[in-house]
Amino acid sequence: MNLRKHARKMWVIVALEAASTLGEDVLFIIQFLFRVLRVVVLLSLWRVILTEHDTAGMTLSTILTYTLIQEVCAEQLLPRTNIEWALHDGGIAMRFLQPLDLVSQFMAHMVGGWVFGLVFFSLPLLLVAPWLGVNPAPVSVLAAALFLVSVLCTMAIGVAFDFIFAALLTHFEGSAYMVGRVRVAISLVLSGALVPLALLPWNLGAILQWLPFASLASAPLRIYTGTGDPRLLLALQVAWAVVLWVLARRLWQHYREQLVSYGG
Amino acid sequence: MPTLRRLLRLWRLYAWLDFMWVTRSFEKFAVYYLGDAIINAAAISSTLLLAERFDGLGPWSKSHVIFMLGYAAMTTGLLEICCGYNVLYIGRRLGRGQFDHTLLQPQPIWMALLTDGFNPFGASSAFLTGLGLVLWASRSLTSLVNVGWLALCVCNLLASATVVLSVSFFWGSLAFFAPRAAEEINTPLLRMFDHVKLFPLDGLSGVMLNGLLTVVPVGFVAWYPCRALLGHAPAWYAVWTTPLAAVLCALLAVAMFRRGMHHYAYTGSSRYRDMGHRG
Repeated sequence: MNLRKHARKMWVIVALEAASTLGEDVLFIIQFLFRVLRVVVLLSLWRVILTEHDTAGMTLSTILTYTLIQEVCAEQLLPRTNIEWALHDGGIAMRFLQPLDLVSQFMAHMVGGWVFGLVFFSLPLLLVAPWLGVNPAPVSVLAAALFLVSVLCTMAIGVAFDFIFAALLTHFEGSAYMVGRVRVAISLVLSGALVPLALLPWNLGAILQWLPFASLASAPLRIYTGTGDPRLLLALQVAWAVVLWVLARRLWQHYREQLVSYGG
Repeated sequence: MPTLRRLLRLWRLYAWLDFMWVTRSFEKFAVYYLGDAIINAAAISSTLLLAERFDGLGPWSKSHVIFMLGYAAMTTGLLEICCGYNVLYIGRRLGRGQFDHTLLQPQPIWMALLTDGFNPFGASSAFLTGLGLVLWASRSLTSLVNVGWLALCVCNLLASATVVLSVSFFWGSLAFFAPRAAEEINTPLLRMFDHVKLFPLDGLSGVMLNGLLTVVPVGFVAWYPCRALLGHAPAWYAVWTTPLAAVLCALLAVAMFRRGMHHYAYTGSSRYRDMGHRG
């Protein structure tokens, strides 16, 4: 299949998915309000804690920016294709019949699902950041460019994680609901999405930064805020993306043969 | 008295069904329970690690933070034990048309909702995690703990759970009016509660704080009652504020639910129609 045709098919899925958010999930405004509330609480918490303590090289202003950008890019920094739900409800059977490979389909659905939130939540949150007392700007133009590259690596790692979990889910016949929740819970803590790894006690952050979870959220946010060496962080992300994709491909190709699905 | 007897019989029945689920496949139960334990541990670990790193959070000492996290986990655990099978996520039952199943039962709606989500074995993980944390924290709270304080603690815990349940029913009742759109409204609401309840809210501005104790009363899930129980709020009425809030929230939820029921009496559910959205 030529690349243009492939991109066009993905674009159609992205557009359909983006449009369906408005059609099927009209209570998005309430969801956005809840997210704003969460980020405001976190910002105030940092202000209470960090005015009294040193912060391992991260200033209060840096941590506020880190927290805000994490919420702005929450879906991109912990990317989910929701493949486990396609396994759960049988939708995966229909996906196999579509004239596009599985990874491209799920990635297109994932990106399509982001569009609405980026326009109606992330952008407004960036605009009101000064009113929340947060400087949303990256540390430099180069950092902003590298942040975008880093987010692409995050997407690659996140989707690889999803296919690894999906393969194991198929083999062990576990609960999609449980696997999804466990994955999110572990990722939130180990990726530095909720609390910057540098703020963890017992030097835990220094160990966790080498794990693949840290390459999801912590790496791009550290690049954005200028609190890490971009070359090292990007190299680590690329290395994890390669390792995880090799693993995901092998596991998925092996275990998908065990897949039995009804309906969809 | 007959009502109480019937309630107890139903609770016993659902507890037995839950026990059967546990014993039917111990392997699957163990995986499920372990997964639940990982989720609960992960949820509290960020705040716990921050409290360790900074030797407390603002005016809260480390042991007070641990107590609050334990209290928050117990509140969640209580709801998971008593309001499983989407009673807590009532919007799902209403949106999917499953409320018809409740209406068919030979008992009042309140009794059905109060009993058929009871699963004390399979859903006990959060409650036990919370209990463990509270016991751990109580080593440093010996000067506070006595029978009266324990009674107040239990009273506040029940009140906190009632606040969450009421807010969930209040918002979930929107699914009577917009079944498809509001089917999942409880999910972002309870997710936000789960995130925000883990932090002391002392640093928030007055407007925000008032909002978190009225419009979206997440402050009553753990922060405010723990603040009162641990002596951070010196006013005598502080320990009674959460129970009072629970009563008010419950009244609002009942009013909203009844309004939704009234609407439902005219429109019914599309579940069993040919073109029903889940048909």
